[in-house]
Amino acid sequence: MIHRFIRFLRGYVRIGVGGYSPERFLNMCSYHNIYIWGLMPVKNGYEMYIMLKDFRKIRPFAKKTKTRIKIVKRTGFPFLLYRYRRRKLFFIGILICVIMLNVYSMFIWDIHFEGNEKWTDETLLEFLDSVDVSPFMLRSSVDCPSIVKNIRKEYNDIVWVSASVDGSCLNIHIKENDDTLHQDISVSGEKQPCDLIASKDGVITKIITRSGVPQVHAGDAVKKGQILVSGRIEVLDDTGEVTGYQYTESDADIYADTEMEYNDSMKRLHEEKIYDGNPQYRPFLRIGNWSVSSGGIRESTQGVEISSSERQVKIGENFYLPFSYGVRIFRNCHFDNAKYSNTELQKILSGNFKRFCEKIKENGVQIRDNSVKIHLYENSAEASGILYLNEKITEKADTEIITIERKESDESVGTDD
Amino acid sequence: MDREKIRDSLISAAGMPKDVLRGASVLTVLGSFEICIENFRGITEYTEELVRIRTKEGQIRITGKKMTVEYYTDTEMKITGEIHAIEFSDGRKGN
Repeated sequence: MIHRFIRFLRGYVRIGVGGYSPERFLNMCSYHNIYIWGLMPVKNGYEMYIMLKDFRKIRPFAKKTKTRIKIVKRTGFPFLLYRYRRRKLFFIGILICVIMLNVYSMFIWDIHFEGNEKWTDETLLEFLDSVDVSPFMLRSSVDCPSIVKNIRKEYNDIVWVSASVDGSCLNIHIKENDDTLHQDISVSGEKQPCDLIASKDGVITKIITRSGVPQVHAGDAVKKGQILVSGRIEVLDDTGEVTGYQYTESDADIYADTEMEYNDSMKRLHEEKIYDGNPQYRPFLRIGNWSVSSGGIRESTQGVEISSSERQVKIGENFYLPFSYGVRIFRNCHFDNAKYSNTELQKILSGNFKRFCEKIKENGVQIRDNSVKIHLYENSAEASGILYLNEKITEKADTEIITIERKESDESVGTDD
Repeated sequence: MDREKIRDSLISAAGMPKDVLRGASVLTVLGSFEICIENFRGITEYTEELVRIRTKEGQIRITGKKMTVEYYTDTEMKITGEIHAIEFSDGRKGN
């Protein structure tokens, strides 16, 4: 197969050899290493295939052996090229195709990230954009070592980066530091001395102090604003007198039983949206700020609900083109007054309460008990009661700085020897 | 005659290929439809029914039907078709 393709590419001819001694001609060809195939005897001699480049060599042999050579058939790319020499556009097309392929392969079309969990593709892409690395940049201007260096410099918790260009795709492999993934990364330079105060009234159930002086014990009832852990540590001398203070940033986990009022009400009367007719789907195409939509809309006197979904066209993973397409859904509708039934009201209010509980649970608050009840009235309904919680009640507050005037005669301060 | 005998025995003792040393033709026949010939000097005659090939030691006559030369080079040629007979004859006598 490959031989046939090479033959086609180089071009070959079928020649007829006739005359006094065509066998001698054949032997001369083989003697001069000329490849002959498809040899067939015909009326006045032989017919055979011969490569185009060899055909140019056989003229002297024909002369020597007094044979006549006639071309029967021409096959191959060189002849094709010659035959279509007048079709300029065809060749221009091929040329443009080759040039475009070449030009397109000069650019980076896609940036692919791998191994990132905490930092999303979009964030990294935005950062890379700020250091002039983006899709549609020249391949030759991609400096992989500097990309790696920049990412490492910008993100402390990315411990390993590798960048490589694969065709027209820039691959960036990232290894994030899993240990810091769940920790706060707010790194403050200097620690400010602070107290921890109660953010709510409650009864302390548990206290774990890491730094600072605890002022309360488990079982103590505290008021809002009361200092729970002090950031001021007293320095005592041998007589037990306070000679100075050391300040620290208090840190503690303090849990307390607290109470919270819950109140939610709603009216029986409400407006209900009623759709008229079937929804109308209108696909559209947007190029930049200009968009084309198909079909018109039958406007209703009441109102129209429009929902739209749009998708931007992209090449590869991250190279967005300025085209987007999507569909708009129009639904004619009008509003009508309606009344909730008792069961509906109960369902909505208990649903609201459930969602509220889930939300506060997400913040690490434990719900011990609740006395929330639903009351139904003629025109409205209400859910109210008290939630009994167990939660962290610490809040940071600045420590009061106290300075002690030192007596000048005091010898023990500063020097000990 | 003696010299040839001595040469043959030397060749067989050394275990060397005879086709190389004596310039003998090598014929590879595949069924009755294909024949591959190496070590030849040239074609003497070629029709669809008869192919005569000149070798160092004489002549090879291949008779058959619808025979074509698939390829023909300095070292090797392949004939396909319906092969009926292969004959070896002294070149001078045959001609």
